[in-house]
Amino acid sequence: MPPSRVFPRYLLLLAMVAAAAARAQEPGETIEVQGERRQGSPRAPAAAATVVDMAQFGGEVRSVAEMLSTAPGVSIHALGGPGQTATLSLRGATADQSLVLLDGIPLQGPGGGALDLSTLPATILDRMVVSRGVLGAQFGAGALGGVLELLPRSARGSWTGGAEASVGSFGTERLALDAAMPAGNGSALIALQGDRTSGNFEYARQLTPEIAGSPYYGFTRENGDATRGSGLLRISQELSGELGLDLLLQGSAGVRGLPGASSAPTPRSREFDADGVAGVRLRGSSGDATWSVRASGRLDRSELRGVLAFGDCEDGTPDCPRQDQRSSSARAEGELALPAGEANSLRFLLSGGGEWVHGTTGAHRRGLLSAAVRDDVTLAGGFSLHPAVRLDKVGTQNGLSPGITAQWKPAPEHPLSLRAGWGLSYRAPTFTELYLERGGIAANPDLRPERAWSVDAGAEWRLALLTLSATAFWSSYRELILYQLFPPARVKPFNVGKARIAGVELQAVVPLPAHLLATVSYSFLDAVNRADGHKLAYRPPHRLFARLARRGDRLEGYGEASFTSAIPRNAFDTAFVDSQLLLNAGIGVRAAGPLWVDVEAKNLLDKRTYEDLFQYPLPGLSIALIARARL
Amino acid sequence: MKRIVLLLLVAACGGTYQAPPPVASIALPDGSQLKPYDLTKPGKARPQGMAEAAGRVYVTLSNQRDTDTGPVNAGPGFLAAFTPSDGNVTLIDLGGGDGLQCQNPGFVRASADGYLYSPCSGNFSGTDRARAIVEVDPLANVVTRRAAIPNGRVPNGVAVTRTRIWTGDAFTTTVFSIDRTTLAADPTPPVPVDCAKTVFNYVADVMTIGGDVYALCGSNNSGELYRLDPDTGAVKAHVTVGPNPTELAGLDDGRIAVVNAGDSTISLVTPSGGTLTAQKVITLSHADALQDVRAFGHILFTVASSTNTAQRIDLDAQGGPKVVAEANFGLNSGPYNILPLDDTQAIVSNRGTNTIAAANWVTVK
Repeated sequence: MPPSRVFPRYLLLLAMVAAAAARAQEPGETIEVQGERRQGSPRAPAAAATVVDMAQFGGEVRSVAEMLSTAPGVSIHALGGPGQTATLSLRGATADQSLVLLDGIPLQGPGGGALDLSTLPATILDRMVVSRGVLGAQFGAGALGGVLELLPRSARGSWTGGAEASVGSFGTERLALDAAMPAGNGSALIALQGDRTSGNFEYARQLTPEIAGSPYYGFTRENGDATRGSGLLRISQELSGELGLDLLLQGSAGVRGLPGASSAPTPRSREFDADGVAGVRLRGSSGDATWSVRASGRLDRSELRGVLAFGDCEDGTPDCPRQDQRSSSARAEGELALPAGEANSLRFLLSGGGEWVHGTTGAHRRGLLSAAVRDDVTLAGGFSLHPAVRLDKVGTQNGLSPGITAQWKPAPEHPLSLRAGWGLSYRAPTFTELYLERGGIAANPDLRPERAWSVDAGAEWRLALLTLSATAFWSSYRELILYQLFPPARVKPFNVGKARIAGVELQAVVPLPAHLLATVSYSFLDAVNRADGHKLAYRPPHRLFARLARRGDRLEGYGEASFTSAIPRNAFDTAFVDSQLLLNAGIGVRAAGPLWVDVEAKNLLDKRTYEDLFQYPLPGLSIALIARARL
Repeated sequence: MKRIVLLLLVAACGGTYQAPPPVASIALPDGSQLKPYDLTKPGKARPQGMAEAAGRVYVTLSNQRDTDTGPVNAGPGFLAAFTPSDGNVTLIDLGGGDGLQCQNPGFVRASADGYLYSPCSGNFSGTDRARAIVEVDPLANVVTRRAAIPNGRVPNGVAVTRTRIWTGDAFTTTVFSIDRTTLAADPTPPVPVDCAKTVFNYVADVMTIGGDVYALCGSNNSGELYRLDPDTGAVKAHVTVGPNPTELAGLDDGRIAVVNAGDSTISLVTPSGGTLTAQKVITLSHADALQDVRAFGHILFTVASSTNTAQRIDLDAQGGPKVVAEANFGLNSGPYNILPLDDTQAIVSNRGTNTIAAANWVTVK
């Protein structure tokens, strides 16, 4: 019997009923309901955005990817189970076509492309801002689907701290600690998170799936263990009345098994990785103008062991070399914001640096140079305009990214706002696409940048905690880099794709009686290959997320449902990943003083037949016990 | 030939031919048995194509070892001969005295006069001397002759006629012939057999069916089947099939089945006079990387490498062609070719686990 069976489902149900009854016994309790308290990114005013506040997931064992999947316009490509690779897709764009920034510093994977979200520690973050659309003008080249901004916990001027520990199914454990304190003429924060999982869950699959009704057989996924440690240090110092210095250091290191797809497991493949980010910023103001100067750097290393082009091998044997890949980047940037008259506020940005890779892609480097200007224009009648333009030079590839967003509010405090945006930008090929020659993959150093533009429009009704929003978008991609058949038995990237992706994003955050908060988000995607009219693979046409949560000073709980419709998994509309419905629930009580104890169950229906897009099995019912305290 | 006579006899008597049951799994030779160039780096059998001749089954062994950069030829190519019902294996070294006369054989097909022909792809550079088409006498289990391949070409597929050996080029969309008597390649320009592409297309297979030569052009988004004159290579007809077609098979009624790996479908092509018409008759939506199709009467057999499965498809099923049985060969088995022994029994070559395995069907209830 697997660990997940230790907690029968009906016990959880019983606990939730008991919790509902207990609610009546808490007169006068103070309820802090946390919904979306912030509206988008200051770098992209009036862009379609969702803020994911980590505090609303207190008492839950959540990865960054799991929390992001609650937002409209987001889908996660996860290779099954805790601690395994997960990448982000915004508005149907690929993971390479979205930027991920940690406190403004761009993050990338070891090949210069998509970031593995599983390497990001969730508990060191304060919130995440998901901005959607072609936002190269606001954030830089590469932001074709949008941008994920990770905002770490902030240092505070007084002593505070917290701890969280959890144990759960599949040998999954987490310990997180953080402390903020006064330091010199400012403050400091340190946060640590450790995660471990054996990851070996049971799953079921049909061995003869072409036969309707053929039996499912049980398997145990092996080599799914993962161990990771992460840390964050932030120091903020006020040097003088108008001058401040901020330091950020973040690092993560982990090791995990690479279990492989359900039909082709790889029990001997392992991955070791380590990454670090450092940034120091000097900020100040002079009159109405504010400015900042920052230097930042990033290091990533990934080593694959026991990995072959097709299958696995015994690490250390002659034909099984370790595959070491390292990448780094460094950049300096300066930003100046100053008002220009009554109605305009101008922002200028200049940045330069470089990025390097070394390892399986060979050794390569390229320079980075950017210049951008944005104007925030306040017009009569409640209108505001935010035109922006940015020039990016990535190696030898230059590109101009213009964009504009606009907003209308009948009055500053009026709950209604209408918004629209347009943007055009490009994405330079990654080092992996340009230079990786390995196994079944061929390099193509002649790749050109991908290009895209998009337009969107939306409306929002925001009144206290109530938020209703709707956005429609249309985007066009060309020169898409697609891996194509290349002899013999290899694939090679070429600029041959063109696509149109349109969709609708809806979100409602509704406060309900009894201090309940309901959140519903829905995403519709119509992603079409313009070369042949077929649907683009791996884009879910429909995603629906619904959550009902309650937070109090004695009792908390939530229930949520996530539905993903069938997803095309080839380029010809003839094969699909089945639709999936996941139900999760949790409940917690304040046991003593600041100590909370929660129990959480994911995949309540214990569906063990679900697989991700690449046929990696997904775990069935899992249960976690969480204790946390904050002072 | 004996088996064909037997089949005809059984058919004439109105009965159903039933082959002796094959053994469940036959382990193929490995390591030092395959004469590795470097004893410290032996290869695996990596079986691929199968054909019947002289009452036995022959399977090509590409004899490769896996590396982090992909498969590498570890020794000469082999044919393994065996009888499915007893599993005894005889090895035939295709590499010659220096071991370099044939590397990485993929297809193997029997000619009407009983010889076996196997194209060897070498290291796919198009310039190495291990590219060849070898001729094997199945009665003696020896290599009888070898035809060298002109530089710049990598043979793929093989169709043997009375006077010529036709093969396709894995690098281009052309086919060319080799004189069966002199074993010299035809000096005239190769015959183009093109198909739509975004980047790359190639000749996936060449096969003799009903006296004509058929060539299959494949690309990631399209496919085209060509009917060629067996003597001159002149194009007699062509028709569009599905994306990324990998194999074809002739039915006893003259139709041709083509398996399209791109969209996991099967096209049935009907020759009629000077034309070919194609229709997609079934989608195997859970079978990934379809590699092979064979026919026995109106029953088709397919294999899917990624899902480790084989399918048995009844073309005459009520309501249209239907999968009536499926078999799974286990994790990482990677079935590559399938050979029906009768209308219910079949064996597959498992490239992943280096075995020949009998299909243990799960049937529709």
